[in-house]
Amino acid sequence: MLEVRDLAVEFDTEHGRVRAVNNVSFSVNAGEVVGLVGESGCGKTVTGLSLLGLVPSPPGKVVHGEILLDGDDLLKLDEAGMRRIRGSEVSMIFQEPMTALNPVLTVGYQMTEVLRLHKSLSQQQARHAAIDMLGIVGIPAPSKRIDEYPHEMSGGMRQRVMIAMALSCGPKLLIADEPTTALDVTTQAQVLDEIVRLQHQFEMAVILITHDLGVVAQTCQRALVMYCGQLVEAAPINSLFASPLHPYTQGLIGSIPRIREHKIERLPVIEGMVPDIAALPDGCHFADRCNRVQADCHERSPVLTPSADAGAVACWHPLEPQHD
Amino acid sequence: MAAAPETIARVAAPPHQGLWSKAFHKFCRDRAGLVGLWVVVLYAIVALGVWLGLWASDWAEVTGPKWGPVSAEHWFGTNLIGQDIFARALYSTRTAFELGLVVAVLSTFVGAVLGAFAGFFSGGWIDELVLWFMGVIDSIPFYLLVAAIAFSLGDSPYAMYIAMIATFWVGTSRLVRGEVIKLKELEFVEAAHAIGLSEVAIIFRHILPNTFHILLVQATITFVAAIKSEVILSFLGIGIQDGMSWGLMIAESTIEVLAGFFNNFIAASLLMFGLVMAFNMFSDALQDALDPRSVR
Amino acid sequence: MELLQYTLRKLIAGIPLIFGVTFISFLLMVYFGPDKTYDLLGKNPTEQQIAEIRSELGYDQPFVARYFNYVTELATLNFGRSESTGEKVSDLLARTIPVSLALVTPGFVLGNLFGVLLALFAASRRGSWVDKTIMGCSAVGMSISFLIAIIAFQLVFSSSYGLGWFPVRGWNIHSPLDYLRYVTVPTLATVFVALGYNTRFYRAVIVEELSRDHVRTAKAFGVSPAKILSVHVLKNCAIPIITRVVFSIPFIVISGSLLLETYFGIPGVGKVAFDAITTGNQPVLKAVVGLTAVLFVLAQILTDILYRVADPRVSLN
Repeated sequence: MLEVRDLAVEFDTEHGRVRAVNNVSFSVNAGEVVGLVGESGCGKTVTGLSLLGLVPSPPGKVVHGEILLDGDDLLKLDEAGMRRIRGSEVSMIFQEPMTALNPVLTVGYQMTEVLRLHKSLSQQQARHAAIDMLGIVGIPAPSKRIDEYPHEMSGGMRQRVMIAMALSCGPKLLIADEPTTALDVTTQAQVLDEIVRLQHQFEMAVILITHDLGVVAQTCQRALVMYCGQLVEAAPINSLFASPLHPYTQGLIGSIPRIREHKIERLPVIEGMVPDIAALPDGCHFADRCNRVQADCHERSPVLTPSADAGAVACWHPLEPQHD
Repeated sequence: MAAAPETIARVAAPPHQGLWSKAFHKFCRDRAGLVGLWVVVLYAIVALGVWLGLWASDWAEVTGPKWGPVSAEHWFGTNLIGQDIFARALYSTRTAFELGLVVAVLSTFVGAVLGAFAGFFSGGWIDELVLWFMGVIDSIPFYLLVAAIAFSLGDSPYAMYIAMIATFWVGTSRLVRGEVIKLKELEFVEAAHAIGLSEVAIIFRHILPNTFHILLVQATITFVAAIKSEVILSFLGIGIQDGMSWGLMIAESTIEVLAGFFNNFIAASLLMFGLVMAFNMFSDALQDALDPRSVR
Repeated sequence: MELLQYTLRKLIAGIPLIFGVTFISFLLMVYFGPDKTYDLLGKNPTEQQIAEIRSELGYDQPFVARYFNYVTELATLNFGRSESTGEKVSDLLARTIPVSLALVTPGFVLGNLFGVLLALFAASRRGSWVDKTIMGCSAVGMSISFLIAIIAFQLVFSSSYGLGWFPVRGWNIHSPLDYLRYVTVPTLATVFVALGYNTRFYRAVIVEELSRDHVRTAKAFGVSPAKILSVHVLKNCAIPIITRVVFSIPFIVISGSLLLETYFGIPGVGKVAFDAITTGNQPVLKAVVGLTAVLFVLAQILTDILYRVADPRVSLN
């Protein structure tokens, strides 16, 4: 349904031009939940924004690539065409439920505005649709709460409002950028469950952008791992966790805190620092932190190549696939 | 137990370390700001020359005919009584710098000290008092305050200076107060507390130096405000009392322009516009360069 | 009811400010003001005559009593008579304030309206040549003194050396057309100068608001840029805009009319204040200073109340 080919996004900064997303290609099937994982600053949010043409410009710019939604290249659409897609075919929800909603407009205004923008509804019909939608995402007394302002709601409630807004026009694809990061742990789980439940109900595809592999394990069927603007591994969830191929993925999985039987000294971490994206080293960007590094890693950039188990990895010396 | 000096030095490092060198580099890349700075320097040289008696010392003498035309001898012609307009305009540069510097330095100083005390003791009675005072000053329209002060001082030549300082410190003070409230929570201030420095010493030695980037920008803004206000106050008759200024020249020209003689008006307006514009450009660039938010 | 309570609380909170403002104007204009005794006496007055005049002027009363008298004058709008014309000051103000309002209102409204529009236009095209041109013009406008603008506009539009379309000076109004003829040039000068500052200020406010997350959200849901600017952004900018507009009212009414009326010879309160300044007319001056200061405090309270209307997050408690 969605196919991204060779996408590159650059930003003009004080330190010159920086490539935040570097030749990324992936696809998402209808009704599939895909996790886009990586540390902050790896380009996962920019990738998400570029799918909707929301990369702030200037300073950002999509340099090349194709974003095919059911075969139509979104990058070739004009602004008006893109606006028809946003919120109706493809929706996006954001990390900060505190600030992502307009503080001086009621929830009802913001929801009906979107509904009337994409569907030919009267004010009354839009209001009813909005109330229904708030009920569906689990907001109690929706016909009362619709007239509230965002600051009168809790963080979890606000994120539910965002979800209700995003789903109100029945999108084919929902991009969720760290939807639970800013919430407390109990609310996190509830909102996450809600997204999974609604994904089934509305039969839409979801791209879940997160730094949290635990969240991916709970919700996604497939994961894409990004590092320094590049896709380094793509694999179905089961094989990714059972047998990661890229040393970086292995490191990420190793650093998930979990309840272990034996007490360990400390949580394993990936040694070293993420390199400055404005001054990336030659060759594989992960080489300086990699425990499997060899001489050729510093010279040539690895490209994403298909592996067994329907996955793909960008590494010269990937880990051996393990089979049970 | 006395803390070792090097410990203090380490803990008491200012929060804006590197701000100045980054700001310098950023400023040097700002073309409008550099042009502004050089024009201001040029004006300053003119003012200094007047002060040293190198030129325009004959500004008060009658050297030509009434309303003489532009000529090689009189670059901007002569005025109603035959004084050289160019010399008068140059001499006014000195007046502008005197006024601008005195008002900028003193009102920035007053604003910094009061703002720092208010911010450091925020919530206390000193703060309440300073805030109240700022509210009161803000509530009296500027020109009327000058008039009132001139009124009570019996047309003293200092009325304008006093009124400007009494008004312009408020803006600086509000900014400094806000910054100090942020600063006093920082580690280096707590360290200074911990080694037993007095509060006054902390304010003057550790807090005020860290608001210097605000003070510099505010001083340039005040300088411009003083020059612009002078023109209007002199026109109203409560500005410069003796000497010559652009404001007095423009006040003089208000009769002349209706008779079709524009030289006085044009000379004073152009010279003043040049300095104010250049100072604004310089001030903007300075503000951009020193804004910690824009230092990435 | 809640709003009424809120208003009352704000009024009470304004009392220290009103006290301060009246106290300072009392100190400057009355207590340390020039001694009028000898202006009212003939040559070689006797001790008794001096004492009589001093008691008439209230100079023999204690400080607190004199301050109290001043506040009573302000509260009852009874300032005595103008020293130059003998007209009651309250009548004088009632006659001249409407003229000043008629003079400055168009420039004030248009200056803010065009300021916001230009700022929206510039901010929405941030970094483009349109933005740079608007901001460049605004910097030039800010560097031109109001007085110079007034003189230049009068020369260009009114004088025989320029276009000569409008009367050079005066305020002789018998019909709406007259009003337009007399108000146009002062308005143009006001708008010209106000635009420089307003555009710059409003643009900064709007640019800041445009960088907020909720703007990105609106964009992500397909809301058009025009609607984002006119509803989502503008409504959030209401507080800084209201603040600036209300706080500049006393400045415009007094300082603006002071210059405009003096230069164009218009019989408004600004001209009255100017004449009082030049001749040292104490009853008029203390009335004008005291009243504008009180007006300003009231404007601040009004702003607080408008905040509540503009932003639902501002609590009434």
